Amino acid sequence: MSRWMRRWRSLRHHRLQSALAVAAIASAVALPVVLISVGGGVASHEIDQLEHSGYQVAVASPGLHGVESAHALALRIDAIPGVAAASPILSAAVDAFPARGGTSPVLAEGIVPNAFAATEGPEEQGLFPHPLPFSDPSDTGLYDNGTYAGSSPREVMVASPFADAYGVSVGDPLVLAPTSNGSGGQAFTVVGTFGTPPSTIGPTAAFAIVLPLAELQLLTGLATAPGPAGGVIDAADTVQVALSGAGATDPAAIASVARSIAALVPYYGVSELSDQAAQLRASTSILTGFYLALSSVGLTVGLVFLAIVLVRRVESDRRVIGIRRAIGAPASSIAFEWLRTSTLLSGTGAAAGIVGGVAIVLYLARFGAGAAATAARLALFDPWLLGEIALAVVGLGALTSLAATRSALRVSLAETLR
Amino acid sequence: MSEVPPSIELRGVAKDYAPGRPEQVHALADIDLQLPPGTFVSVEGPSGCGKTTLLNLLGLLDVPTRGEVRWDDRPVQGLRERERSRHRLRNVGFIFQRFYLVPTMTARENVELPMRAARRPTADRRPRAATLLASVGLAHRSDAFPHELSGGEEQRVAIARALANDPGLLLADEPTGELDRANTEGVLDLLAGVQRERPLTLVLVTHNPLVAARANRHLTMSDGRIVSDRTGPEA
Repeated sequence: MSRWMRRWRSLRHHRLQSALAVAAIASAVALPVVLISVGGGVASHEIDQLEHSGYQVAVASPGLHGVESAHALALRIDAIPGVAAASPILSAAVDAFPARGGTSPVLAEGIVPNAFAATEGPEEQGLFPHPLPFSDPSDTGLYDNGTYAGSSPREVMVASPFADAYGVSVGDPLVLAPTSNGSGGQAFTVVGTFGTPPSTIGPTAAFAIVLPLAELQLLTGLATAPGPAGGVIDAADTVQVALSGAGATDPAAIASVARSIAALVPYYGVSELSDQAAQLRASTSILTGFYLALSSVGLTVGLVFLAIVLVRRVESDRRVIGIRRAIGAPASSIAFEWLRTSTLLSGTGAAAGIVGGVAIVLYLARFGAGAAATAARLALFDPWLLGEIALAVVGLGALTSLAATRSALRVSLAETLR
Repeated sequence: MSEVPPSIELRGVAKDYAPGRPEQVHALADIDLQLPPGTFVSVEGPSGCGKTTLLNLLGLLDVPTRGEVRWDDRPVQGLRERERSRHRLRNVGFIFQRFYLVPTMTARENVELPMRAARRPTADRRPRAATLLASVGLAHRSDAFPHELSGGEEQRVAIARALANDPGLLLADEPTGELDRANTEGVLDLLAGVQRERPLTLVLVTHNPLVAARANRHLTMSDGRIVSDRTGPEA
């Protein structure tokens, strides 16, 4: 019978106290396990998305719709050696009025179809049809060299969840309006649908539409300035730039293209996606530290509870301690007994907390709903990190045995054995 | 592990509890006592007369307020706690009235306890525990926990435990106080047998004259003093 087994038997002798101490530690450990595994999983998913995007450089300007002359800028960027495509994108909220009735706010994305298709990542390629079913793939008809006087086919693609929710099919009309005034809107024809990726930010992407950039600019007033003499704005939020061939994976080539774009538009922000991924990684580390700091409050309470249980146990075990010391057991032997007790309780609590945390995440992933379930499905369990958490808890638990050891060594033999 | 029992002497020993405070108690006063090796001493007296305190001082469980405790002519009252622990472990065996077995350990584990404290290897202490339990007639109960044993069996396990490290001094504080007559006889026979078989000094505190009669030296205490010290068998 090992010493550990004897300690375990002793703990069973005080079942309730032991169970409460283990529960306190377990609940304190389960919290960071859930936060870190889900938070880390979501961040890892986002980083993976960034690293597998179909474009490598993004041009943006501070504020909404800050990139002007987007069509022209895309053409100038296209002309830079090594660039495969430059895709301007405008995002704006509009109201949609399906033919069967009802109104829904939707997120509209204005794109240049050919350029957009050339900058799709692997995931988007699986969600959108090929080729995109717009009759003006280059979005030059309506734009008409910045006059916006060309013909307008009024075509739109809708997300499948939106189409399902409102009974919208290809060929149906769909009125889009920049405000809630449906009568001031414009009628479009649905030319296709697209899928939506799993998202941790709710149903936004599920209620999205995609239409040519010039159409959305006109609809939202971002094509030209107000008034008869208003100049061309041609606004977008970003221009996504894909490199061609091996340059797409060559950091030096990507940096070179980014520098060339920055030279073209020094007043816009030009960022490489690898930088964004690095920033996301850094912020994920900060968040992990924050989660651990937050959880340390619960852990402190759990460990204080453990210390109280141990000191209380010393009180109830005074006679046994007295017997052992009367027999001549050295102080180190008594100290190790309490160290073993503390280690067993904190170790069991840490293991239970990790198992409990993992179980909570798996339960959410399987039976949860909405964003929580989606986030839980992306959770990642890093065995090294979980092991470090367990080790830290056991180490801190060992420290709590100091108070109990001090009490045990102060037990008066003459009094206990009287 | 003593080959020869120690010679123990108390010189002018006094023990006060809570000294200097209003609740001060004079437990022992001016005790002079010599215990030659191998004696079997009984200590009698009314409750509260200082018998257990005397035993605690002899066994180095406590230190005197005044006076000297000498083992083999060396003063031991000034030893540090660690040294006193080591001394107890090697030289003293305790038997208590309420047995004081560790409730979460089996009979065998209780007997092994002093040997584990002395860091004796498993291969050594297992057979030694088995031999000791057999010698007290409990070979078949080695895996029983204290709550599964009768009072007499518990005390026999306690005796086996007290003998585990071959002590030179065996201190028994009313070892039959909670036993019926048959078990009392059994335990006394056991102690007498132990004392005959191995070289040790046995000091036994008791209220029971029948128990005291087994000793060959008889101390009587009153109010913290030894008031009578007789030698020879008593009726």
